[in-house]
Amino acid sequence: MSLSHIRPWLAAVAQCSRRVSRTAASGTSKRFMSASASKERPLESTEDWTKFQLDRADNEALIEYFSQYGSTQTRGNTWQPHHSLHRPTAPANLTLSALLASGAHFGHSQALMNPNFMPYAYGVRAGITVVDLDHTLPLLRRAANVVRGVAAKGGSIVFVGTRADLRPVVRKAAERIGERAFHVGEKWLPGTLTNKIVMFGPDVAKSEQVIPDLVILLNPIPNMHAIRECAIEHVPTIGIIDSNVDPRIVMYPIPANDESTRTAELIAGVLSVAGREGVALHAEELARNQKARSQTRSRVRDRDSAAARP
Amino acid sequence: MNVARSVARTALRTRTYSTATTYVPPASLENVLPRRRVQLKPIPESPNFYTGRAAYYDQINGLETAIQHTRSALQKLQLLPLPSFARHSIPPGHHVWITKDGLTEMLNAPLTTSRYRRLLGLLNQLDSYRRIADVAGVGMLADRVAGVLEVFERENKEAVLARGKRKPVEFDEHGRSYTVGRRKESAARVWVIPVQKPETSTDVSTSSTTSQKAAAEDVLPQLTPTITSAMSDSPLKPITVTTTNILINNTPLSQYFPIPADRERVVRPFKIAGLVGAYNVFALVRGGGTSGQSGAVSLGIAKALSAHAPEVEPLLRRAKLMRRDPRMVERKKTGRPKARKAYTWVKR
Repeated sequence: MSLSHIRPWLAAVAQCSRRVSRTAASGTSKRFMSASASKERPLESTEDWTKFQLDRADNEALIEYFSQYGSTQTRGNTWQPHHSLHRPTAPANLTLSALLASGAHFGHSQALMNPNFMPYAYGVRAGITVVDLDHTLPLLRRAANVVRGVAAKGGSIVFVGTRADLRPVVRKAAERIGERAFHVGEKWLPGTLTNKIVMFGPDVAKSEQVIPDLVILLNPIPNMHAIRECAIEHVPTIGIIDSNVDPRIVMYPIPANDESTRTAELIAGVLSVAGREGVALHAEELARNQKARSQTRSRVRDRDSAAARP
Repeated sequence: MNVARSVARTALRTRTYSTATTYVPPASLENVLPRRRVQLKPIPESPNFYTGRAAYYDQINGLETAIQHTRSALQKLQLLPLPSFARHSIPPGHHVWITKDGLTEMLNAPLTTSRYRRLLGLLNQLDSYRRIADVAGVGMLADRVAGVLEVFERENKEAVLARGKRKPVEFDEHGRSYTVGRRKESAARVWVIPVQKPETSTDVSTSSTTSQKAAAEDVLPQLTPTITSAMSDSPLKPITVTTTNILINNTPLSQYFPIPADRERVVRPFKIAGLVGAYNVFALVRGGGTSGQSGAVSLGIAKALSAHAPEVEPLLRRAKLMRRDPRMVERKKTGRPKARKAYTWVKR
């Protein structure tokens, strides 16, 4: 672009940068400043609104153009906080540093440590039990294999995360796996599995498969009813076990920080990706069986017709 | 002997079965259809099944998804986040959401107030996005969001919003308005029709038949001398006033209301509006006395004028002519001769 093209834009940028400091001081901070060209009077007609939108779009285009001369780190190629929920890692790509970065190694106070958690504790620092991530990583991979295996056999999986920040996590994890996954973001009602006839009605309890094939708990401490019901109904469980919890309450414990949202997002993401892989395997198996069945049918038909002919 | 006994014993110990099915070597199974080992029961449909309130949480999830998509669409259109001056330009929302009982019926499940309020919060959020899209002229997005919200609106939404507002006055095929006015025990039904303009405007009109005030305006004397009046000897050109009729119970105004105060009350809306001689009035009034009936007719005329000439309504409102006077005769109470009057107080 020649200088004659850029000169008016440079003037505009100079104007913009002056206004940015003013607006920043006033406290109305936005990602893209819009006060440069727009007036502060209220917008009356549709044309005013269109002009407002176009001004903003122009500002964005301007910044977009000049960003090539700025830092190589952009919003597109750096890690953003929403990536842990929307872009999960696969179990094969999981690293120890990712677990550390999400804060999975922070346990609870040393005084509150459950003695059965000792094998998974690395040590104590500042009165806090530090979880040994060298145990967490293989146990998380094992749990991922369990999820994959259950999904590959066509089993139903339930994600349980009964905190406000865990609600979108369990929902997204269940959606990622697909049809055979469910989520519980609010309180687990006691009797969901053991009292299913009263809970869901006799028709549903008899005709549908109510007992799931796997339950994954992101916060097991408030969901002891769910854990007990799974034990009664012989449902395998996976759970994030913190240092104040006995790891034996679930079948496949994952020793990690249960209070951190990012840790829960990472773990639920890994398990849901494994589940998605299992669903794909199941679909492949079904297709293979279907093909084999159709081949056998055609062979039997040919044999019968050959026998019937003479 | 021991061997024989042990052989016999083993023969007795091992039981030989005569089985129904014969042993089939695996190679012969290639033409046999594989039987499905386990008959799988169908799984629940909703992903919220294990919450125990699938219908409610399905709605919540659906609304949250709609909010997310609408938000991202508005961000792409540069309509979010909105600065304060733009936010003030958005008209306020008039929404009438479904009641808690209605929602309970819709979901076919019990609903607590906190859950209902949570759903309402999501609906209000989505409605605010719809209003932004609407005012900015993004019709398609606004219509789609409105379609989602329509499910949760009450059927009698228009009726609820129109509560407290006056019903619009309708005109018939001749251009007449029909309004009702009430005062004390009187009720007046008033038909008002605009007067047809005369063809020629230059002719000097004679005095009106029934309007006293119009006649009075014709022969107003010039009190202060002006240059033109001083220069010319001819009298001033009289003001043309169209003839109007005010009929109450089929009698002219002057005949029905002999008291000037009542006549003044009837004609006052025209005076305030500046529309004297513009409309003909036909009223049927019943009940009460003279002042009550004149007040009722006045209210009816004021309502009719605001329908015929809406720009006149603020004038009438400020003059307190649009208000149905709520004062009624107070009832007599026991222990008193009249509503307020008390019997003479006796010390003993």
